[in-house]
Amino acid sequence: MSSTHVAIPEAPSYQRVYVWQWPIRVFHWITAASIVVLFTSGWLIGNPTLVSNGEAWEHFVMGRVREVHLVAAMVFTLAFAWRSAWFFLGNRHARSGFPYFWKPSWWRNLVTQGLDYLKLEAGTPHLGHNALAGLSYTLFIIGLGLVQIFTGFALLGQAQPGGLSDRLFGWVLPLLGGAMRATAWHHLAAWGFVVFVVLHVYIIFIDARQYRNGLIVSIITGYKFKRRRAAGETSKANDD
Amino acid sequence: MREQLVRRPSTWEVLQDRGIERRDFLKFCMTTTAALGLEAALVPRVVEALETQPRLPVMWMHGLECTCCSESFIRSAHPLVADIVFNMISLDYDDTLQAAAGHQVEAIRKKMMQEYDGEYVLAVEGNAPTKDGGVYCLVAGETFESQLLEAAAHAKFVIAWGSCASNGCVQAAYPNPTGAKPVRKLVFDKPVINVPGCPPISEVMTGLLTYVLTFGKLPELDRQNRPKAFYGHRIHDKCYRRAHFDAGQFVERWDDGGAQKGWCLYKMGCRGPTTYNACSSMMWNDGTSFPIGSGHGCIGCSEDNFWDDGPFYERLTSIPLPGIDSTPETVGKVAAGAALLGVAGHAAAFAIKHRNDPPRDKEMAEGGAS
Repeated sequence: MSSTHVAIPEAPSYQRVYVWQWPIRVFHWITAASIVVLFTSGWLIGNPTLVSNGEAWEHFVMGRVREVHLVAAMVFTLAFAWRSAWFFLGNRHARSGFPYFWKPSWWRNLVTQGLDYLKLEAGTPHLGHNALAGLSYTLFIIGLGLVQIFTGFALLGQAQPGGLSDRLFGWVLPLLGGAMRATAWHHLAAWGFVVFVVLHVYIIFIDARQYRNGLIVSIITGYKFKRRRAAGETSKANDD
Repeated sequence: MREQLVRRPSTWEVLQDRGIERRDFLKFCMTTTAALGLEAALVPRVVEALETQPRLPVMWMHGLECTCCSESFIRSAHPLVADIVFNMISLDYDDTLQAAAGHQVEAIRKKMMQEYDGEYVLAVEGNAPTKDGGVYCLVAGETFESQLLEAAAHAKFVIAWGSCASNGCVQAAYPNPTGAKPVRKLVFDKPVINVPGCPPISEVMTGLLTYVLTFGKLPELDRQNRPKAFYGHRIHDKCYRRAHFDAGQFVERWDDGGAQKGWCLYKMGCRGPTTYNACSSMMWNDGTSFPIGSGHGCIGCSEDNFWDDGPFYERLTSIPLPGIDSTPETVGKVAAGAALLGVAGHAAAFAIKHRNDPPRDKEMAEGGAS
């Protein structure tokens, strides 16, 4: 054994902190799965490559693809509502990073985090979301999610005139200047989710590498690791 | 007796004068009742209304338009139907069809607004240019906009015939050089019924007038003030090729096997899934056919902005923002590619900058990370 053995601090110098409560974790994975299903099935609706031959009555390919898309859309919407409720019901981490535009501390955190990434520096570990993460979830998941829910249900309402989605969301179509334009927005926002997935997965990996705090596994177990501070030691780590 | 002489005659009275048989009259009443989606028990009400109600005075104005709505209207399915409809309404002013010309026409218009104040139906074909004081459409030396507003003020309600009057159509397409505005953006003090289509189906036009005459009120309208009976469903929902859509059988080229077999035209840019009209159920020219029946996709002529939401042979329109001529697919792929390049660049730069850092496990063990 080398000299590093001697330097190992007294165990346990790390504590497990319960950060992500189960509703958050369930929401995360349901949303992740539904986004994959929604984008794939949505792509096949917009550009049908699954085609059939023979008599029309023998097949229901496009019908099934649409069915999958609609069911996944319901699941996404319910998970969205579930997470929105948990914003208020959950622990403080459920609200971490949310853009509180009126709080200078949120803006400071946003600038620090942004500059750390730009300067390629190891940033500050957070237990919850940092301000930049909170902003990106707000823009991509809440913002684009609302665009998809409103345009999607409005388009669904076309197939069910007088039905629930028509009555609740049908006003969106004339507002956007017709269903063709609503479709265009629906497609564009779908690509926004692709951009989000690229950024999200990359940043998760780079932060997990920097902080070694169980970032990735925390969305499965709910626990993150936080170093215990020695007496009198200051840390810039953020507990939100 | 004197009262009888000045009373305006009912439709049936006029038809009797023209030698229409009672039997044909009843047939028309039944056809119209069915076309309006009403139950058979209401046939006697339609008959009674046409027998007793004085004919509906109609003022038919023409703004910026191509007269295709009138062409459609006078070709209503059965010659008898067209005949009855023309006798059913009292088309007192229509500067395109009427025999009078010049000052006589203007005199009729003014007289109508006085005599039938608040009673006549204003049917508008075309729309009004509003730029440069409205000079791009002048009728008898006045702007069409001012004539429209004046006529609407005295009308019972306004029917906007066709896509021009309902949505603006081609003359309101980008960049809309004359500032053409559909009726619903000009008339706010009277109910405006939109009957979009370029042109609308003739039976839709006559059906609407019959309903108004029979029941003395407007039919049930949807969110965009279109009669629900005719604009309640998409072309797609009543399309006879719908089974091929659900099955995943699409025409890929205009000359492929799918086109010969009559498969779905969705991939050829058919607007059926986004267009509300009665073409796929009532069809055109006495139920002869409609565009999809002839192997061509719907171009969505009864939808708002259909001229701007091209190309007609592409499934997806470009992003509806000025100056952007790309589809969401193109923009999305570019954005996703840029995001991938961005994170790859960041990862590379990060790795280079931190290449001499101690291994993280060791650093962590030494308490370097927090």
